[in-house]
Amino acid sequence: MATGFTDFLDSFVKDHDNRQLLAIPLAVFALSLAILLVSFASSGSPVPLGMEFQGGTQISVETTDSPATLEELYSDYPIMDARKAGSRVIMQFGVMDNEEQRQLEDDVMGRYSNVEIKQIGPVYGKDLQVQALRALAISFIGMAIVVFLIFRSVVPSFAVVLSALSDITIAAAFMRIAGIELSLGTVAALLMLIGYSVDSDILLTNRVLKRRGTVEEKVSRAMQTGITMTTTTLAALVVMYAVSTFPYLIIPSLTQITLLSQISIVLIIGLAADLMNTWLLNTGILRWYVLKPEFRGRFNR
Amino acid sequence: MSDKKSLFKNVRVIIFIIALLASIIAIQPGYSPGEGTTSNLNYGLDLEGGSWLQIKLQGALAQVDADSGMIVSEMVEPVIGAPITITENNLEGNGLSGTEKSITFTTNVPVSSSELELLEIGRVSVDRLNQETTQVTIFTSKESLIRLYLASSLDSEVITFDEGEGLVYEIRTAVSEEELEALMAEVGGSVLKNEDGTSSYKEGVSVQTRDLTRDILNDKLNALGLKDIPVRTVGEDYILIDFAGIDLATAKDIAEKPGKFEIRINTTGTETRHVLYGDSIVSVGIPGFHDNQWHTPFTLNEEGALALQKVALETGAVDNPNAHYLTMYLDENVVYSAPLSYSAASQLKNAPIYSWQASTGGDEEAKAEAQALQIHLRAGALPVNVVLVGSGHVDAALGEQFKTEALIAGLLSLLAVAGVVFRRYRRPEILIPMVGTSISEVIMILGVAAAIGWQMDLAAIAGIIAAIGTGIDHLVIITDEVLYEGKLPPTKVFVSRIGKAFGIIFGAAATTIIAMSPLVVMGFGALKGFAITTIIGVFIGVVIARPVYGVVIKEMLEAGEASAARKGEISADE
Repeated sequence: MATGFTDFLDSFVKDHDNRQLLAIPLAVFALSLAILLVSFASSGSPVPLGMEFQGGTQISVETTDSPATLEELYSDYPIMDARKAGSRVIMQFGVMDNEEQRQLEDDVMGRYSNVEIKQIGPVYGKDLQVQALRALAISFIGMAIVVFLIFRSVVPSFAVVLSALSDITIAAAFMRIAGIELSLGTVAALLMLIGYSVDSDILLTNRVLKRRGTVEEKVSRAMQTGITMTTTTLAALVVMYAVSTFPYLIIPSLTQITLLSQISIVLIIGLAADLMNTWLLNTGILRWYVLKPEFRGRFNR
Repeated sequence: MSDKKSLFKNVRVIIFIIALLASIIAIQPGYSPGEGTTSNLNYGLDLEGGSWLQIKLQGALAQVDADSGMIVSEMVEPVIGAPITITENNLEGNGLSGTEKSITFTTNVPVSSSELELLEIGRVSVDRLNQETTQVTIFTSKESLIRLYLASSLDSEVITFDEGEGLVYEIRTAVSEEELEALMAEVGGSVLKNEDGTSSYKEGVSVQTRDLTRDILNDKLNALGLKDIPVRTVGEDYILIDFAGIDLATAKDIAEKPGKFEIRINTTGTETRHVLYGDSIVSVGIPGFHDNQWHTPFTLNEEGALALQKVALETGAVDNPNAHYLTMYLDENVVYSAPLSYSAASQLKNAPIYSWQASTGGDEEAKAEAQALQIHLRAGALPVNVVLVGSGHVDAALGEQFKTEALIAGLLSLLAVAGVVFRRYRRPEILIPMVGTSISEVIMILGVAAAIGWQMDLAAIAGIIAAIGTGIDHLVIITDEVLYEGKLPPTKVFVSRIGKAFGIIFGAAATTIIAMSPLVVMGFGALKGFAITTIIGVFIGVVIARPVYGVVIKEMLEAGEASAARKGEISADE
């Protein structure tokens, strides 16, 4: 599949001019931005915030009872949601005071086995939210600075940074549409995306700027390598997603690992976006740049 | 044969092998029939089972100013029940360091010095000037006045410290900037601005206070015989307590239950008599050195001071202190024992004593003892107000399940990667070094984790996956660079190609490390673990493992091509 896809992408890139190459990724980028903006305007947050950032309690137990039964059972508490995941039911509660919290915990632990509880106070959640956003911003700026230091040339560095930004934006818009909440796990995934995203961009830019050969040939070669890189990572992530999300399809007693499941799905989307952004967006900008008449073919021989 | 020799003489390969062996020794994998597989790895709560509590320390730091006269009026008038007039005040301004600073006021009601000394403002001298006027002089400083004013209006401990940027008041309870501003305005003052015009108010407590709170919690939990409950500070004003193997309800009980502090006095022989419990201790000061001794100051409330006086009188400790030691216990363990000083003993015959000092001696050991005593005296009472902001619980069986699944996910992911790599290159001599390098990188990350006692939790596992993911990317870059023409180039070209490959790899690794580092500095719990593991992994990969892959792939390909040439069939790969 990988080689077939590489050949297809390679000929697609060769057959279209830079403007056409940029059109698709820029359209997707704009659409994603629009989704995030609309969501921000309507709900105050571009992506749905998870319990960790909002405060509340999440309790997951092993049970054969239906989510509706549990919702009924704990209706005295601020239960917001109960859903089934394999042999478990995950319940979501709003903020409670210490006394209520304690009662609920005692009741759940007395009734069910294999309990997992996570509780975050609203103040701490707010703090976490600020920290996470700051971390994302600083990471991104740090990455941009390193990229500029590596290439010391504005347009190619800008192309790398733009495609990383687009990867993250698309992944975030996907989270909004699919209803994946922003949690510590998904923040981690977005940060990982910064790292993964620039790998193939740096490879491409490095090959095109610092290697001899025609631009066309260098891009094809870089594509061979870059797509192998991304597909290996994607393969690992798809497997991880499957194992951490649907393990109970194989062995019923196994449990979802929410953290790994969230990380892998966000990364899968982000890397798929990266395939597009690296080989259409970044390639388009870079190809336009190195073939500019003022370089007199310096990068094309 | 000569190829193999040169491989093992290569410095990079030697470093790699040593690092790998050291990691395996650090991990100490083993198998014992009873327990299954064992290792030296430390698992986090989400894999081991147990619970955690996260608490926030409430407080505020600010630089403030006020009119000292107004503070004295504010504090003294309710006590004496009449208005006062400030007649002399040399507390304002900085000069006159030699003379004792004081503030003087007059009032038209009689005043006793003891009722004012109860305010603990400072030494008080009272002069009856005439029938109507009483003149009172209080020897104090503006700093103590502000501190006491804040402490009494907020009903909280307030301490001051100066780290070169002016005097900072630490209020050890939650108070908003507006509340503080209003309080200061009442006494003609305000919250000061920093030089850049921003407010000096800051929510939270100082690092010292945070660490003291952590130490007290540690002390308390360990005094209960619960060893190995790590109490860590997280971020600026959070403390995280991990209770491995303890369920959430028990954890909350333990954390909420104050340590039992008790003072007893020897009666006869080894018999002792109860004097007071920890709830009688109002405040504990910072250990200080004077009269060639280290002292830990503490203050008793009315009830405690009276109880101590009563028992000291009844046991005869006031007459013969050396026969009736005063002993302090924390959860039934002796933490301090000494006789009453002669001056204290004679003073007790007349009146209760509120402010006490426990001396420990003059040497370094005594200093440590005084500091430990400060913590012991606090046990049960944390220096700051705390609120529970987060908690969690994972059943041990569930943790075990997570561990198994994470392992399955890891192994299957590696297989998937191997599958893609093989599909692309179709050469075992590339596949084997590549997968081998990845596995050795995992072993080395685990080795570092075991060596530094780093906890493996789900977030750390995600970090390992991130590191291995970029690792495979980098190995693909090296391979494609080396095989640029589809076959192995001559050595000279090979060396320059490897150099180019590493140019790309270092750049990519640097961006990943830079992208993760803000989380290491400011991240909380899970994200911090994730970032540190990723950075360790990327670092090990770039410095130790990937250079060796460059060397090994060359040897493997040369061997492969040599045997292919012998058979007379050079495979055209691309």
